[in-house]
Order: sequence, then C-alpha cells, then structure tokens
Amino acid sequence: MTERAAILGFAAAPVGLHQRRPPGVLAQLEHELAAEVVLAAVAMAGLSKADVNGLVVAHPGDHTRQGYFHTFLAAHLGLSAQSTVIQVLGNGMTGGHAFDTAVKEVESGRSDCVLAVGAHFETGVPTSEHLDYSIRLTGDVDFQSIFGAVPIAWYAMDAQRYLHEWRLDRRPLAAVAVKNRRHAALNPLAQFRESITVEDVLAARPIVEPLGLLDVPGRADGAAAIVVVRESLARASGRPYVRVAGRGFEHEGLHQMSDRPGDALHYATLAKAAARAMDESGTTLADIGAFQLYAPCTIVEILAAEALGLFPRGRGGHAAADGESAFDGRLPINTCGGALSRGHPPEVTPLYDVIEAATQLLERAGPRQVSPRDFAMTVSELGKYNASLVHVLERRV
Amino acid sequence: MAEGVADSGARGWMAEVLMPGPRPFAPRTSAFTQPFWEALEGGRLITTQCNACDSRSFPPRNLCRHCWSQSLRWIDLAPTGTLYSFTRVHVAPARFRADTPYAIGIIDLIDNVRLMCRMVDEVDAKDLDRTVEMVVLKYDDGPLFGARLRPP
Repeated sequence: MTERAAILGFAAAPVGLHQRRPPGVLAQLEHELAAEVVLAAVAMAGLSKADVNGLVVAHPGDHTRQGYFHTFLAAHLGLSAQSTVIQVLGNGMTGGHAFDTAVKEVESGRSDCVLAVGAHFETGVPTSEHLDYSIRLTGDVDFQSIFGAVPIAWYAMDAQRYLHEWRLDRRPLAAVAVKNRRHAALNPLAQFRESITVEDVLAARPIVEPLGLLDVPGRADGAAAIVVVRESLARASGRPYVRVAGRGFEHEGLHQMSDRPGDALHYATLAKAAARAMDESGTTLADIGAFQLYAPCTIVEILAAEALGLFPRGRGGHAAADGESAFDGRLPINTCGGALSRGHPPEVTPLYDVIEAATQLLERAGPRQVSPRDFAMTVSELGKYNASLVHVLERRV
Repeated sequence: MAEGVADSGARGWMAEVLMPGPRPFAPRTSAFTQPFWEALEGGRLITTQCNACDSRSFPPRNLCRHCWSQSLRWIDLAPTGTLYSFTRVHVAPARFRADTPYAIGIIDLIDNVRLMCRMVDEVDAKDLDRTVEMVVLKYDDGPLFGARLRPP
C-alpha cells in the first residue's frame, strides 16, 4: 500500500420504512435518497464532484427496483471515474465490502477519493414474499432451504443452544435488546426509539423461537455514503478525520453450518479477523473504545462479543444487563442501537456501522458519546459468522 | 463420481411420516444426487464418503471438500442421532404459510454427521441433546428427510 486510507466525510438517511408512506405521501426513490447522502457526505469532506474518482456501491437486495444500481447512480450523479465504478456483494457483509473496496482502491494508489455508497430498499415487498427469496440465500436450496430455514432461524438455533448450554432463561438475551434500544433513543438515525423493558422483550410474540419480535430486526430501508480519501489528502484538509488503521478478514469455507458435529457457538472467524485487524493497527482490545458488531439478533451480539473475548462465554447478555456494553459502560457495543434498534437495511447496515464508529471517534455522538478513545472497531459478517470482516479505525484530530 | 451402492439398508430403515400436499419448496435432482433421493424414497439415508481421506459429507458432494478428491463412495447413515438445537418458525415464507408454525432442527447423527431438517411431532427447549430418529417425510410429490424425538 502506498499510504493509508481515511474517512473524511459521511452521511446517512434515517433508517426506516422509506417505501411505506402514509396515504397521500409519495415515497422517495432509492437513487434520490442515495444522491442526498452522497452530497451531504462530500460536503462534510469539504470536497466537490471533481475530487471524486471512484464509486463503490453495496449491491442492493433484489427487491430494490433499479438494477445495475452502481452505473445508474454514477449517471444520476453525473460522475466520471478513473479508478472504478463497481457494485459489490457479500451477503450481510455487503456494506462492509463496499467500504473495504473503497479503502483498497485508495490504498492501492489508484485513487485519491472513492465513494462507498449503499441504498437498500426492500419494504415495498411483504415479509412473507421477501422470505420466499431470502431462504434461498442462507441455506443449500436443495438440502436446507427446502425446510423453510429463514435467515434468522440459524441465529435462533444458536440462541436455543446457548440457553441450553449455559442453563439460562431468555432474560440475558432480552437485556441486549433493551440496551440497544436505549442507545437508539439517543440516535436520530434510528428506526426504533421508544424505550422498552426486559418484560416487553419477553412478552413479544415469537418469531423464531426462542427469539421474539424484539430479539430480531425489523424490515427497513436505508441509504448511506462514506468519502474515503488518501490520508495525506485528509491531513492536508485540516479537518478531523478517521484513519483506517487495520483490517482483517476470515472465511471458514462453510455456508451457515458445518456438516460435522461440534461447537457452533464460537464465531471463530471473528476471533481470527479481529486479531489480524488489531495486529495491523498495533492495537489490543484495551485500546478500543467502541465496538460496532453486525448483529441482526440479540444472540448474535452476545456471541460476537464473546468471540472477541470481551466477555467470558455465557456472560455476554449479563454484560448488557449490567451496563458494561452500554455507551457509558466499560466496553461500549453498538452505540447506535445496532441492527435491532438503529435498524437493519441489510445490505447497507455495515456502512451505517462504520459511520457510527467514525461519529464516536470524532466525538459527534451527542448524548450517546462514549468516553473518547483513539480507536473503534467495526465488524461485518456473512452467513452465521462464516466470514468476518473487521476494521480498526483511528481518530486523527 | 461416487461409486457403488450403499449397503442395502444395513444401517436401518427409516419410518415414514405422511405429510399433506406437495413439498413447499421441492429440491432439484441431478444425476449425481439422484441416488440420495431414490434411497430416501426407499427409506434409507445415504451420503458420500471420500475414498482418499474418509471424510463424510452432508449433503452428498461430487468432491471431497476436505481433500478435493473425486474418488467417493455412497454410504448408509444410521438414522439416529441427537438434537443439537432447533427453532420454531412463526413468521414464514409465503410458500410455507400452510405449515406455520413449523420446527426445524440441527441433528448430530451417531455417524458423526451434522444436518439440518424439519422436526415432526412435539419438540421443546428441554429436548436438546435427546435422541432423535430420522424419518422419511412422504409428500404427494416426493420425499424429504425429517427427524423426531424418540420416546424416552
């Protein structure tokens, strides 16, 4: 690499039902929303259209109407590019790959400034119809999807096993949902901001047992953009920026589950990818002040935190209950509210997570600001942590 | 190519469970996977095992995912194991609406193979690690494999 990449600007639309508007209110279209966040992000960076020479787009889910969204968006923006215009796909990691690809374009020296953009629109399609599609994504269509294994069913089976192995009731899981909702209440981008209690979580209707409505993500649309530049350019701008200090990736060569009996609750790819990212950035867990973990369900945040070594196995939920993983706790996790409450437009979620990490590092998180530290970690995953992509971000102010 | 025919049910035949209507989301059959589905129709659960490194695969694969050998044989799996985990799906794909809620589980066979399948009959959180038996789910248009708890 010639030099490190830096985040100089970012913007995101509030997560929500952008395609479901009250009668008489017309919905914005995906490229309209994407253009708004791009302009806001470039303005934050103090740059202009002519400075941008690459565009990396998170492949929108198949229910986003516009196809070949990357070239369509380049045309909508009137953007000419010399490094790349590309759409990337990596399941739940899609937004993470969009950011990562933009970073690599800059680190390679091919580009000074690349936009990582995502716009995911899915709420125009009813849930049952969407699930007809998504069972084909998270299982072998001839040997697993045939049984109706919806994506979050895999996490639910982790949850059932977790409760069994540690002899727990659902309360530690519920504590994660409550903690994340508390964060979301303080985040203007969040989809679900009304306060909830453990009792609310326990009483919510079952979705995929043992997970109920408040243990799983809602349907959501969203759009986000990040301006990635050469670090020297960020430094020369005189603006505070976030440096991409380390990166790690691991795929275990599995799709959802192994065909050999064994421990399914240790997300080994995360431990490996995080170790690489910390090694590259010269950090340890103790240096990191905020963790953005891709966690569509309560159980996933627990298992991811345990895989990182933040809490002993079997104790991840208790850490939420005790306030340890709250924004004002010892090890803040998902300070934006996470996929559960900030909201989960899946293909864009990791971009929102990078934005939250940068927001915390630049001390712009307002009432949910963590105690300022130099490093934050973002994690995205695919399958059931069959792969993990980890970035360690560093503030430079 | 996987060679040979699995040993004619020496590892045990599966009971049949009648299911209403057609399969909600029928699997495809290829020339390679046809022996699996034909054996299932006949009450046997078979898969591929590598002749080079002896690794078993589920589902059957046209290569060994461990050593990339293409020298494989079909073996019978004993249709019994334990319940590693399960979930009951309450919000389901449109094509599974008639079955909702339905349970799916992860089964660890005594032959050291893990698979996922539909659970039939009652299943509850307290049933993890209990013994299950594999069954053939007989739909109007063909079979699927499933599992149910064995009475204690």
